[in-house]
Amino acid sequence: MANGANASPGLSFSRETFAKLTPAPFLHAHLKQNNSVRPNGRSPEEFRQTSINSGSLTHSNGSAVVRCGDTAVVCGVRAEILLASDIPHSPGDDIEDDDLIEEVGLLVPNLEMSTGCSPAHLPGNPPGTLAQSLSYRISSLLHLSNIVNPDDLRIQYTEPKTDEDLPDEGPKQVTKAYWTLYIDILCIALDGNAFDTAWAATIAAFQNTTLPKAWWDPDREMVVCSPRSAEANSLRLNCLPAASTFGVFSTISDSFVLADPDAFEEDLADETVTVVVASSKNRRSSLLSVQKGGGAVVGKYLAAKCILLAEDRRS
Amino acid sequence: MQADRRRLNAPAGGTAPPVFSFAGDEALAKRPIRTRKPDEHRKIFLRTGVVPSASGSAYYEIPPQGTQSEEGSLVPTSSSLKVTCTVHGPRPLPRNASFSPNLLLSTHVKFAPFATRQRRGYVRDASERDLGVHLDTALRGVIIGERWPKSGCEVVITVLEGEEDAWWGDRRGDEKSGGCGMMSVLAGCITVASAALVDAGIDCVDLVSGGVAAVVRDGQSKLEQTVLDPSPAENDVKAACVVAYLQSRDEVTEMWMKGDVGAETEALVDHAVKAAVMTRTVLAEAIKEAVELKLGDPVEPANGAPKGGKGKGKDVDMTG
Repeated sequence: MANGANASPGLSFSRETFAKLTPAPFLHAHLKQNNSVRPNGRSPEEFRQTSINSGSLTHSNGSAVVRCGDTAVVCGVRAEILLASDIPHSPGDDIEDDDLIEEVGLLVPNLEMSTGCSPAHLPGNPPGTLAQSLSYRISSLLHLSNIVNPDDLRIQYTEPKTDEDLPDEGPKQVTKAYWTLYIDILCIALDGNAFDTAWAATIAAFQNTTLPKAWWDPDREMVVCSPRSAEANSLRLNCLPAASTFGVFSTISDSFVLADPDAFEEDLADETVTVVVASSKNRRSSLLSVQKGGGAVVGKYLAAKCILLAEDRRS
Repeated sequence: MQADRRRLNAPAGGTAPPVFSFAGDEALAKRPIRTRKPDEHRKIFLRTGVVPSASGSAYYEIPPQGTQSEEGSLVPTSSSLKVTCTVHGPRPLPRNASFSPNLLLSTHVKFAPFATRQRRGYVRDASERDLGVHLDTALRGVIIGERWPKSGCEVVITVLEGEEDAWWGDRRGDEKSGGCGMMSVLAGCITVASAALVDAGIDCVDLVSGGVAAVVRDGQSKLEQTVLDPSPAENDVKAACVVAYLQSRDEVTEMWMKGDVGAETEALVDHAVKAAVMTRTVLAEAIKEAVELKLGDPVEPANGAPKGGKGKGKDVDMTG
């Protein structure tokens, strides 16, 4: 704590020592300056650059590896067939398309964090609360955003006309099976903000997913697929949502909103805000969800500011 | 099962993997042929320092051979190997552990659900535990444990993509895993764990590397041949052996052999040692690069890290 004007010799330690001993005052000292800069060199509104690499896994229908600073996540999408006759409580024919995926449970995301990605997440334990809640958040966001078109997941069969049918009735289309997508997200390295990166990996893997052409074979009574990749269909996405997380670090006097917190800042931030912004073909961008918890600092004004930042990032 | 309550489960009723019909498309179902020489290893990619929050880490990959994408088939003809390893340690043992004068090593190997042709579950099964034990044997002989009393070290391996045991077209009924594909995975795990241990700075006697050799039978000519770095999709494997080898001491810390070799056991082990020597050159190269990077320019950003994300912050006055 050197101050040149005073005669008393101040103590001066390295940055790492201060960061370990007094993390909160360390962060505060960085942020309260005029041009505040965080300890990792970013400004409070700056996000980390994301790099995406898709299609690298051979046994998945779609895959992506997303790296956001030091956080790295791998996502693999696998498609398997669920026969309509196996569903215990079949949805009625009049079910809304939007609810079908959720009702039958055709999207199964799971986020696995016990991979040794950070010293706090060592293997050998079943998923803890963080992993479970993140998996559930991803699942509810997928259903909420209607990103997958249920028609892509249906395997239909046109029944041949029998004598009992009325002559002017068209051929009946029956859904014989559904594609179920298993979305397995593995966290390889963790440096804060697992949700954004996991969500980006899911969307990137969906963009990369192709489903083989499938039909119902009435003789063998099973669903058969064609191995030709030329006949496969890629998954159509209705919109491309992007998530942005902000951490709020508050001391007694001030509070600061930090975009894309890393592990050090996440430990110190009590409150977090996650904004998901989507852009679809018709509209430029729309707000999909805002989720906040942990404190009472962020009011309407700050939330609006976060949403604007998220939209900027999305574009 | 308890794990099922904590994860999002498949829809009730169960799902099955898709069945492909190759009627009229037999060209797509052709088995790949080994084009390498019998003592040639596939190209290996090895890199350390991929997980900065761990004490040490490494990533090992055998890229897929070029035959797959040309045919336009959705069913991949052969697999590649992608393994990532993180080392956390030396760390203090938990309170209730008894005193241990040596470093307590614990290994975990886990296959990702999308790692193999059949989807694997999230709960560790017997083959993964078995691999963990083999890896533990291999590393135990190489770590200098007495320098770290009362400490533990965790070696965590995640296999993102694993080799297969046989060519998928052969479908030999219910052949459980544990065949030759597992051995290639084990050899990769040993090499990557060694790189990660060096990255973590844990004292080792020497660099340990894994090598696989197999006796393969050619389908048509019924000739038997010993090859290094077998790919089960390409040949029918009669017997295989994986070793963990220390080159400068000429010691073998772990050996696992499977199949009927007859009188040729020692010859097979020698071939596996030759394969291990080849992997060691790649290992040494990768570690040297990493050390040069660490001692050289520290501001050099690693692959994928943003330019502004991990810059040096400016020093501040801590007052008050």
